[in-house]
Amino acid sequence: MKKTALLFLVLLFAPAAGLAQAKVRIVSTLQDFASISQSIGGDLIEADALAKGYQDPHFVDAKPSFILKLSRADLLIVAGLELEIGYLPALIDQSRNAKIHPGGPGYLDVSVGCDILERPTGQVTRAMGDVHPHGNPHYWTDPNNGGIIARSIAAKLSALDPPNRATYEKNLAAFEAKLAAKDKEWMAKMAPYANAKIITFHRSWPNFAKHFKLDVVGEIEPKPGIPPSPSHTLDIINLIITDKIKAILVEPYFDLKTPKYIAGKTGASVVVGYPSVGGLPEIKDYFELFDHDIDELVKALGGGTQ
Amino acid sequence: MTITELLLPAFVASLILTGIHAYLGVHVVERGVIFVDLSLAQIAALGTTVAYLMGHDLHSGMAYFYSLGFTFLGAAVFSFSRVHRKTRVPQEAVIGIVYAVSAAVAILVMSKATQETEHLKDMLVGNILSVTWPELFTTAVLYSLVGVFHYVLRERFLLISMNEAEAERRGWNIRFWDFLFYISFGFVVTSSVAIAGVLLVFCFLIVPSVTAMLFSARLGPRLAIGWSMGALVSAGGVALSYGLDLPTGATIVATFGGALLIVAACRRALRRAGASALSMDARSGRLP
Repeated sequence: MKKTALLFLVLLFAPAAGLAQAKVRIVSTLQDFASISQSIGGDLIEADALAKGYQDPHFVDAKPSFILKLSRADLLIVAGLELEIGYLPALIDQSRNAKIHPGGPGYLDVSVGCDILERPTGQVTRAMGDVHPHGNPHYWTDPNNGGIIARSIAAKLSALDPPNRATYEKNLAAFEAKLAAKDKEWMAKMAPYANAKIITFHRSWPNFAKHFKLDVVGEIEPKPGIPPSPSHTLDIINLIITDKIKAILVEPYFDLKTPKYIAGKTGASVVVGYPSVGGLPEIKDYFELFDHDIDELVKALGGGTQ
Repeated sequence: MTITELLLPAFVASLILTGIHAYLGVHVVERGVIFVDLSLAQIAALGTTVAYLMGHDLHSGMAYFYSLGFTFLGAAVFSFSRVHRKTRVPQEAVIGIVYAVSAAVAILVMSKATQETEHLKDMLVGNILSVTWPELFTTAVLYSLVGVFHYVLRERFLLISMNEAEAERRGWNIRFWDFLFYISFGFVVTSSVAIAGVLLVFCFLIVPSVTAMLFSARLGPRLAIGWSMGALVSAGGVALSYGLDLPTGATIVATFGGALLIVAACRRALRRAGASALSMDARSGRLP
């Protein structure tokens, strides 16, 4: 009887003892950062993302659960560059969590230190369409930036949870090693198509194109968010025909009607490229994101080479 | 590819759309159910969303049948919720409720679907430039069938639209005929919104028939005015969008607005001129 009681007590308190060291609760806006955090933090953290990978990260419908998640968060990881300006500031205010306010100890903007492209020079006006005044916020589609993001997250976690610094650093080293190995594999797959010309729908891919040596020669939507005019549509069609462009890269949250129409007129293929982890059920982490997009691109670029 | 090759299908599409919508617009304006097309289009979009949740591809035949099925549901709601003398609930209220609820339910369905539903919100936008010849052919066949259907039943539909009291006096089953009317309307709107988007379809439906009403109360002249205006404005809008390098659908919509304004102003000026000529005649002692 005594033994059973003891066993019962042990069973009751064992999980609690395990949790004595509370996990660092991370909320990120994008699933990409949650995935990288998971690689760095392992069992020491809990990471959760607000936007799903198949959603347009500019326009996220806020749900009540977001405020709950933010109010309990120890660390908020954002893409910055005003990507989340449409929904996040109000949520942070409503969460009443001082830690995660911009400038607070639990706020991390991972764009800092990354290679940011298309920083506009001169004045930005609404006449330019939906343009980001601080540069293109889709920077995590470059694996080099992924490494920089991982280092920022590791440094932040070490600051928030100093006793586990060694673990975070060990995990960071493992992440960087895997990223380097994977990057070699990706670059090898893309090598035959170095400097291949492609068309994209929206300006989401400059970092991806730069890293994998693709030449984005045109966009279907010249001003993001404003439908294309006839002469622009015609220019793109003729550009694809004369330059024999094989791939039109489109984000999953745009309707495929116009890209498919242009593809039908020109013989190019529409490639749905996922800009974020979780866009498809099989894209479970930051590495599988590139695995998927590169395989799809290679299919389109390699098709009909003869 | 040349600019004519690109713009010709869009122009032919606007002619086909004008053909059926200017006619249906007469019914819609007479019945005072102006936003019924927005409402039916939104229900059709909800049908597509549900089809997607059930695992069908968005541009597949099954998705089309789902959207059509939902449109029939909407037709049933509209025909059974006719203006009720006792409650005095206007038909537009029901139309508005159906619009808001189906738009909201579509958002809820999308939030539960796992992926790739984000661009459903673009479904009602449409790009008339990306219409293809085979698409135009099937649409033209479908609209012709609907046109024949309306021609055969013209006596019923027109009397109910224009003189409901008389139709009631004759003892017709108005709800039944209304159901047929809204179903045929749903067929048209489901395809036309997919091609041109809600804004443009609304314009094709309402503007020509309102313009025609400024000049005539009879059906024949109204159709003639509506059709010629629709064709002229479509041509002008497509040309303007090319000349000024603007998005085509939105340019046609704005051209419709401008044309209506000009026509209304001209009519007013003509009336004034007519009236002052009349008063001058009166002063000089000659009776008209």
